Amino acid sequence: MNPEVKKPIFSSYINNPALFDEVFNTDGSAKNVYQTLLDLYGNHSIQDYVQLNNKAKSSFFNQGITFQVYDNKETQEKIFPFDLFPRIIDEDEWEIIERGAIQRSRALNLFLWDIYHDKKIIKDGIVPLDLISSSANYLHQMIGVDPPGGIYNHISGTDIIKHSDGNYYVLEDNIRCPSGVSYVICNRTALKRALFGVFNHYKTHSVTNYAENLLDILESVKPKGVDVPNCVVITPGMYNSAFYEHSYLAKAMGVELVEGRDLFVENDFVYMKTIRGPIKVDVIYRRVDDQYLDPLEFRADSSLGVPGLFAAYIKGNVCLANAPGTGVADDKAIYTYMPEIIKYYLDETPILNNVHTYHCSRPNELKYVLEHIHELVVKPVDEAGGYGISIGNRLSKAEIKVVQEEIKQNPRKYIAQPIMSLSVHPTYIDDSESFEQRHVDLRTFTLLGNNKEFVLKGGLSRVALKKGNLIVNSSQGGGSKDTWVLKK
Amino acid sequence: MSFEYSVTYYAENNYENPVENAYWQFLIVPENNDTQELISVEIKNSLEAKSGFSQNGFGFQTIRINTSERFQKINFSATFKLKKISFNPFGQIPIFDIPSNYELVKSLNFKVDHEPYLRETKYTALPAGSENLFVFDTSISIFDNLQKLNKWVYLFIHFNTGVTHVNTLLEEIINNPEGVCQDFTHLFCALSKKNNIPTRYVSGYLHQGNGYFGDSQMHAWAEAYIPQVGWIGFDPTNNLLVNDNHIKVAHGKDYNDCSPLKGVVYSQGANKTSHFVEVQAEQ
Repeated sequence: MNPEVKKPIFSSYINNPALFDEVFNTDGSAKNVYQTLLDLYGNHSIQDYVQLNNKAKSSFFNQGITFQVYDNKETQEKIFPFDLFPRIIDEDEWEIIERGAIQRSRALNLFLWDIYHDKKIIKDGIVPLDLISSSANYLHQMIGVDPPGGIYNHISGTDIIKHSDGNYYVLEDNIRCPSGVSYVICNRTALKRALFGVFNHYKTHSVTNYAENLLDILESVKPKGVDVPNCVVITPGMYNSAFYEHSYLAKAMGVELVEGRDLFVENDFVYMKTIRGPIKVDVIYRRVDDQYLDPLEFRADSSLGVPGLFAAYIKGNVCLANAPGTGVADDKAIYTYMPEIIKYYLDETPILNNVHTYHCSRPNELKYVLEHIHELVVKPVDEAGGYGISIGNRLSKAEIKVVQEEIKQNPRKYIAQPIMSLSVHPTYIDDSESFEQRHVDLRTFTLLGNNKEFVLKGGLSRVALKKGNLIVNSSQGGGSKDTWVLKK
Repeated sequence: MSFEYSVTYYAENNYENPVENAYWQFLIVPENNDTQELISVEIKNSLEAKSGFSQNGFGFQTIRINTSERFQKINFSATFKLKKISFNPFGQIPIFDIPSNYELVKSLNFKVDHEPYLRETKYTALPAGSENLFVFDTSISIFDNLQKLNKWVYLFIHFNTGVTHVNTLLEEIINNPEGVCQDFTHLFCALSKKNNIPTRYVSGYLHQGNGYFGDSQMHAWAEAYIPQVGWIGFDPTNNLLVNDNHIKVAHGKDYNDCSPLKGVVYSQGANKTSHFVEVQAEQ
């Protein structure tokens, strides 16, 4: 009897020296934080790993943890691809990320307050007027409105990458309805179930405290005069790509998950319909976009919102998180002013780097962009989810021409950045049944409340599963990894 | 001197299929301001559905109606009594410091403070090539230019009902200059904004003479911000400065912010809405 030949897990791993590998040094040795992990995985073969990974995947299916990908033809229900080889961030690196994420959230909140009140940053010539006057997300209805607790961006999702120079850079700040946190928690659950014996060797921060902190934050921004606030999560419904997350968060916080039709407004107060009669609602974690919130104030064709909700909000009778109108600061053109915004409101230097950005709205930068498209990433300023991005060195000459024309048509709509070399992480690839290098980023989750703040110690490490692909969004077919933040 | 007006707004909605549930929001209540004072409001509807007051996103009072019984037809009426203070629109015009006024409207602080009413909107976007239809003469005051613009728009568009509708854009008006007060006002706003003057769309009622009776609609005009004075009303449909026959309800960037009736109706199929307005001066 010949025992089946078992290949060690990393036997066929190719470490491309041109890329920044988070686990292996160029000489093939492992980085310190990963040594224990590799020793433990080293006892197993790739076949063992595959078996465990498949078990973990089926647990995702069974729990219904899926999302939908939109393309031109159809929508498909998918599980978020996951692999059991975690990403580890040590305590010192994490401290920088955490302080940097809080700094950005605070600065963005102060910026939002300012542009909806005195607009000092524009009058002082730091941010150009054009950036708000041409933004469709700048809500005039919010001018002069004081959101409860003074908070606009209760929930921020900051996307961070590690560049080949070893430093962290922020790619964007998502402060409309950032999603993904439920995957962080599910990834952890799946990993712990499959590999508790490995997890146990590290002192890793828990991620399951997110929901309780979110509830604390929501309760901290309750309307005036309310003692114990009734919080709810509003979802666009089961066809929304993030519906699983909406239901997960409601359940984990112990609050009701509602759709627009479950709520109504009377005398500018919001109520939830229940079998025991109406119950007043005080704080709404809304996962419905601004334009769909209230058909009497915004899009009249919206069936997702609640008629009269906005009036209840501006009268201070209900709190919406995030506040309407925060989208103006999540514009990629505003992103480029983040170093100035942090300096202006906090008088601090940015803890996390910004990627250098060219504004196509500025004539001399436009000229540079048009001449250097092959070495730049061109992004529309107002699209989310990785749609509409062109990566210059992947384009043919004809495609470059098309992009040039699009930019010339509407320069305000585009920014360009140097092509960043995202770090890579060993990722299990089904097709080759082995580990390969794949680019990763990290979405962090920061909460801001009335005198409270919280950064989830962990995050969603998103992996671009296509070889060489730099776009990691789940809507672009990316996968994810559990992310361990080590305790001191 | 002051006198009283009675304004009645009627609306009738007919639905092809029964409606289970509906919300309406009426932006039709005359505002309280320096020249007018609301005395009373009386609201009726044929279904005796619940009604109440609220406000729109810009702080103007609205009437909300919510039905919960099945219906196919609803009649609605509101009667407002108000006191209008007589004023001379020219009375407040000072001697202008012309060069410094033009400098002010070009300054960053001014543009920032008035951003909402300088921004181009869907209804006040001028089609390519027509940006210079009316260019200010900077040797005369902003006020004089706006009066000229008022007259220019009045002469440019031929008043004609039934040609345009609530969704008509300026491109259509410029190609075929026929329309109603809404179109006159959008064109005035667009050209005034092009000349750096903050300008807003106003909806309201117009009293067309003592004893005037019969079928009429809500009116629209513009308000422009003039340095040294503030907001002044221009009625390009009638080539008038706003006077004590104009009863203001609300203002906004364009018609979209001031639409008198918004409804959310849970029903399938077609519907027909008609409304009319009566304005009477009390003896």
